[in-house]
Amino acid sequence: MSKTLLATIKTPGFHFPTISLPGKSLLNINKKMRIALLILVPILLLTAFSSWLPLPGPLQTNLRAIMQWPSLAHPFGTDRMGRDVLSRTLSGVQVSLLVGFSVALISTCFGIVLGTVAGFFGKFIDRAIMSVVDIFLAFPSLLLAIGLVSVVGTGLWPVIVAITLADVPRFIRLQRSLVLSLRSRAYIDAARTVKASQWWIMRRHIVPNTIAPLLVTASIAAAHAILVEASLSFLGLGIMPPAPSLGNIIRDGQTYLEQAWWISTMPGLVILLIALSLHFLSDGIREALDPRARK
Amino acid sequence: MTFMPVDTETVLRVQDLHTHFFTDTGIVKAVNGVSFDLLRGERVAIVGESGSGKSAMAMSLIRLLAFPGKIVSGRIDVAGNEVASLPESELNKIRGSLVGTVFQDPMSSLDPVMRVSDQMIPPVMRHLEVSHKEGEAIAERWLGRVGIPDAKLTIRAYPFEMSGGMRQRVMIAMALSCNPRLIIADEPTTALDVTIQAQIVELLKDLTAETGASMLFVTHDLGLVARFAHKVGVMYAGKLVELGPAADVFAQPRHPYTQGLLRSIPDAADGTRKRLFQIPGFPPDMRLPIVGCAFADRCAAVRDICRTEAPESTYRGVNHFASCWAPTGLDQSVVERQVKMPERIVEAELSPDPVRADALRSDVLEMNNIHKHFVRRSILPWTEAKTVHAVNGVSLRVKRGETLGIVGESGCGKSTVARLLLGLEEPTAGEIFINGSAQMVFQDPYSSFNPKMKIFDIIEEPLVVNGQSSRTERADKVCSLVSQVGLDQSFLGRYPNQLSGGQRQRVAIARALALDPSVVVADEPTSALDVSVRAQIVNLLCDLKDELGISFVFISHDLLTVRYISDRIAVMYLGEVVEYGPAAQIFDDPLHPYTRALLLAIPTPDPVREAARKIELVTGELPSPFVLQKGCAFASRCPKVADRCRTEKPVLRNFSRQRETACHYAA
Amino acid sequence: MLAYSLKRLLQLVVSTFGVVTLVFFTLRLIPGDAAAALAGDTITGEALERLREQMGLNKPILAQYLTYLWDLVTLRFGETITTGLPISGLLSQAFPITLSIALATITLSLIIAVPLGAMAAFMAHKGRKTLDNLITTAAMLADLMPSFWTGLVFLLFFSLMLGLFPASGMVSFDDPVTFLKRIALPVMVLSVTQIATMARITRTAVLEVLSEDYIRTARSLGWSEVRVLFRHALKNAALPIVTIVGLSFGSLLNGTVIVEFIFTIPGLGSLLVNGINSRDYQLVQTLIVFYALFFVSVNLVTDLIYKQIDPRVQL
Repeated sequence: MSKTLLATIKTPGFHFPTISLPGKSLLNINKKMRIALLILVPILLLTAFSSWLPLPGPLQTNLRAIMQWPSLAHPFGTDRMGRDVLSRTLSGVQVSLLVGFSVALISTCFGIVLGTVAGFFGKFIDRAIMSVVDIFLAFPSLLLAIGLVSVVGTGLWPVIVAITLADVPRFIRLQRSLVLSLRSRAYIDAARTVKASQWWIMRRHIVPNTIAPLLVTASIAAAHAILVEASLSFLGLGIMPPAPSLGNIIRDGQTYLEQAWWISTMPGLVILLIALSLHFLSDGIREALDPRARK
Repeated sequence: MTFMPVDTETVLRVQDLHTHFFTDTGIVKAVNGVSFDLLRGERVAIVGESGSGKSAMAMSLIRLLAFPGKIVSGRIDVAGNEVASLPESELNKIRGSLVGTVFQDPMSSLDPVMRVSDQMIPPVMRHLEVSHKEGEAIAERWLGRVGIPDAKLTIRAYPFEMSGGMRQRVMIAMALSCNPRLIIADEPTTALDVTIQAQIVELLKDLTAETGASMLFVTHDLGLVARFAHKVGVMYAGKLVELGPAADVFAQPRHPYTQGLLRSIPDAADGTRKRLFQIPGFPPDMRLPIVGCAFADRCAAVRDICRTEAPESTYRGVNHFASCWAPTGLDQSVVERQVKMPERIVEAELSPDPVRADALRSDVLEMNNIHKHFVRRSILPWTEAKTVHAVNGVSLRVKRGETLGIVGESGCGKSTVARLLLGLEEPTAGEIFINGSAQMVFQDPYSSFNPKMKIFDIIEEPLVVNGQSSRTERADKVCSLVSQVGLDQSFLGRYPNQLSGGQRQRVAIARALALDPSVVVADEPTSALDVSVRAQIVNLLCDLKDELGISFVFISHDLLTVRYISDRIAVMYLGEVVEYGPAAQIFDDPLHPYTRALLLAIPTPDPVREAARKIELVTGELPSPFVLQKGCAFASRCPKVADRCRTEKPVLRNFSRQRETACHYAA
Repeated sequence: MLAYSLKRLLQLVVSTFGVVTLVFFTLRLIPGDAAAALAGDTITGEALERLREQMGLNKPILAQYLTYLWDLVTLRFGETITTGLPISGLLSQAFPITLSIALATITLSLIIAVPLGAMAAFMAHKGRKTLDNLITTAAMLADLMPSFWTGLVFLLFFSLMLGLFPASGMVSFDDPVTFLKRIALPVMVLSVTQIATMARITRTAVLEVLSEDYIRTARSLGWSEVRVLFRHALKNAALPIVTIVGLSFGSLLNGTVIVEFIFTIPGLGSLLVNGINSRDYQLVQTLIVFYALFFVSVNLVTDLIYKQIDPRVQL
């Protein structure tokens, strides 16, 4: 990577021989990754097996139990139609995770292909790709997603498409800058002196060395996508009720904030937890790959 | 030992200093009990390889250690101030006034967003308690004294507007501006070119003599030490293993490490080439406890006691101390045995007479009038692009089995020549013919490997991309290559970051040899390595050359090594070859004034010869690479310059049968 | 410097052109056109055709595009489809509100974040981890809190429970005190994220600078750590901080949409959300272009500031 703002401890005149196995490092689970998994795994399990929990369905109304305080029966309380907020939140989380992972996955794939092509071949292709990317980057991300939603429409898949479209340019730019900085490494020159083909250099030397920083970014992008989806649904431009999404549950509760604060705040906390764990995951990957980045 | 009160003549007294770095991966015991005195006006050089703790020791003296470094125990007395226990505010009164410091890298040691005046005047005002006006006058006077031509202008400049040499002069002026009694110089010339380095060393020597300040000079370059130090301390694994008067230490080194270091440097005066002495292995990991002598594993004179008990520093002559169980270190017979012991036996005379051999050999490499221009376009379309003439008409030939050394300072175009030879750059004009193929050994053996690839894959890669043979044949070839460069096969499964610098460079050489090249281009292959490891690599290259009969192009700024390894030498200046000929002849009798200046600037590890030598320094710095000189490129710095040099460009012409030079007045 | 500014300005024009083009053609992808949207279910057949003709929608797309470009260059933004109000009028009312919220947020955030980040870096550099860890963790949490959620929590606490600030009501520049009280909550909500981002960047930048050689030089001249922090470290760290202010302006604009929605503030964001809900494409496309232009101009300004304060950049 180009000169990043990583905190490094400088000790004059010393080389600390860092003996680590770069090939294996992704398997070394460090403290931050462990924290991330500690949050993420229970949420995943709860979401996956939510139908087996002793909770009413997310759409099941109960007009005799409207806006009830959190209790054992309804850990997150109930909303204005007596629906269980936890049950709704869990199915909202399903949507969030789906959005987060699809966006991260699709963006990474497009980013690798287009960014590598732009960075590696340069010239005309690079200029063509990057001028489109620059136009996209002229929009603040949520605003771009809002604009795109107005074109592709609301609902789960349109939202995923909109967020991905808004995200891909960032990945292309990252991948391109990674490729550019790797291209000037001495080991690329070393490969060129033994007459390695462009394809070989790209496959063996460039792309494998970009995967790690991309993973770091991808988990942040997943968190970001989850936030954008929630924001869109909150504004009434994403996933439309009655289908639950964390954003529209919170929007729902906004009107009854004074009477039933739990409707809005509980799903918000869940978003925060998911985002937090994805950030820890990203930091953890970064640390595992670069021992010097440790604080 | 009890702590002696400091008399007026002793400026610095260090006693049993221990400095540790408390890192996440363990405690690095950087300094392990260092004691020495420094008298008024005395210059002591602390020599050691990277990781020896020399810089940590120097920084401990004024408590400028970065976290997680800490002085653990010991006493430091600077002119009556107990530095180790002084409160921070008191210490700040000493820093900059009683003790001046010059750091290694002039490019990064000055604040980039502040003018020189803003960095220099306030400390003067504070320590000398003078007004801004007086402070400015003092600062300007010092800038003048360190040889900055236009002090009034320079003081208004930002650091980025100055060259490296100029910045280091500013650093020295800053360090000296408050009349310190002690100057700590931490590798002050390492980042500079040879001719500039010579200027800076002379300057420091003169100024300390004038002001009567003492100086502690930390370096890894033994040659520099011989040039100016009164006293030498050799550090190894956090300890001063040898300390004594410079003349004494160079003439009669007592510690095996010192003896090894001195022998591992090629001798400039010695015409016959002997195999370099090499210290095997590499320094210990300072995080692990050291039992016995830290050098025991690498020492040829090792005895049983060395492995169990650490030797005390003992008397070896007037003011000369060494920490070794053997009274005189390595004895001659050990050295002799050591020479013949390594992997292959080499004759004392490495190459036959090149003159005789010339007729028998054919050219494997020919460059005809090569030009390489880099065009730097401005961001504004209507302004003219600037052109750097990195290589400006170079013609060279290399014969089979011959080693051509290319020397020159940074920016002379020698690395561009290497890249052109390997086809990494296309020449702007001219032709290159290679009979066979060329391979490269890069300067930094770490960055030239893909960190995600194992050593086996790295060496195998050239074979794979060239579609050579079957998998098992490739594996056999890789195994034979690693043993050829003196590595064990167990290294094949490791990653580059698990190898030491010397081991990596061996891997780089193995890889370069994989395709049986006719020429190997080595661009500064030893400059990232420590002295003791450098000798190992130089020996290896010499052996390979003899065994395989391949040609080498050896590019370096290290003139002693180039001379040692090369049959012929080309001296480059600003993209041109100014002198070309047999190595020994060029060294004994340089024809071009630049070659002469370069040779005079090389420090040699011999205080007697250094003292006898009249050093006429080349003045000034490199002209801008953007401006193509009309006359001789060296005219601006040449001591013999005449009018003709400024108008008419000298071409490289035959001087004698074997020698060529580009000077109007070569005699 | 002037030449560089001109070049960057040229780039701005080019990217605006790209943005406009992208927006124009993307909106033409929507099934059904503006006329149909305006007409809804009431007008069909011939009447709809007439409406199309009136709006110029029956011309070839290229002609429509050129007309649209020319209208933009001459600052004729037209009227909203649904209400028929001049868009330029709406913009000139909404923009100052959004701008004041943004500026207030940046100012507040810088005042709080820079000292906080510098302090964290200073402590981290000296190996005292407690305060640093505290600030770093808090910043991370604050950075990740969704602004619509923070907005609701703040609304609940400061407005509904404590009654400190109004959650709704007129927004008018006539009475500065009322105006400030009215935008206080939105600014606070936005500042949470901004402070977190800026404090983190300041910490990283200062920490990086503190391990530079010139810091050691300053210390070797006898300056105290605090003076070195303020005179040398912050001055050098200012460059990345300026850059990040520009870049995080995007997320600030994203946030304004949300807070304007929550606190019913008639800024650009509310206009946009309403525009989309009423399928007023004329308004939406103008707003999106306007936002992009705003964002890109801010980045241009921070870039020029950067070049101005870094003496190494010679233009």
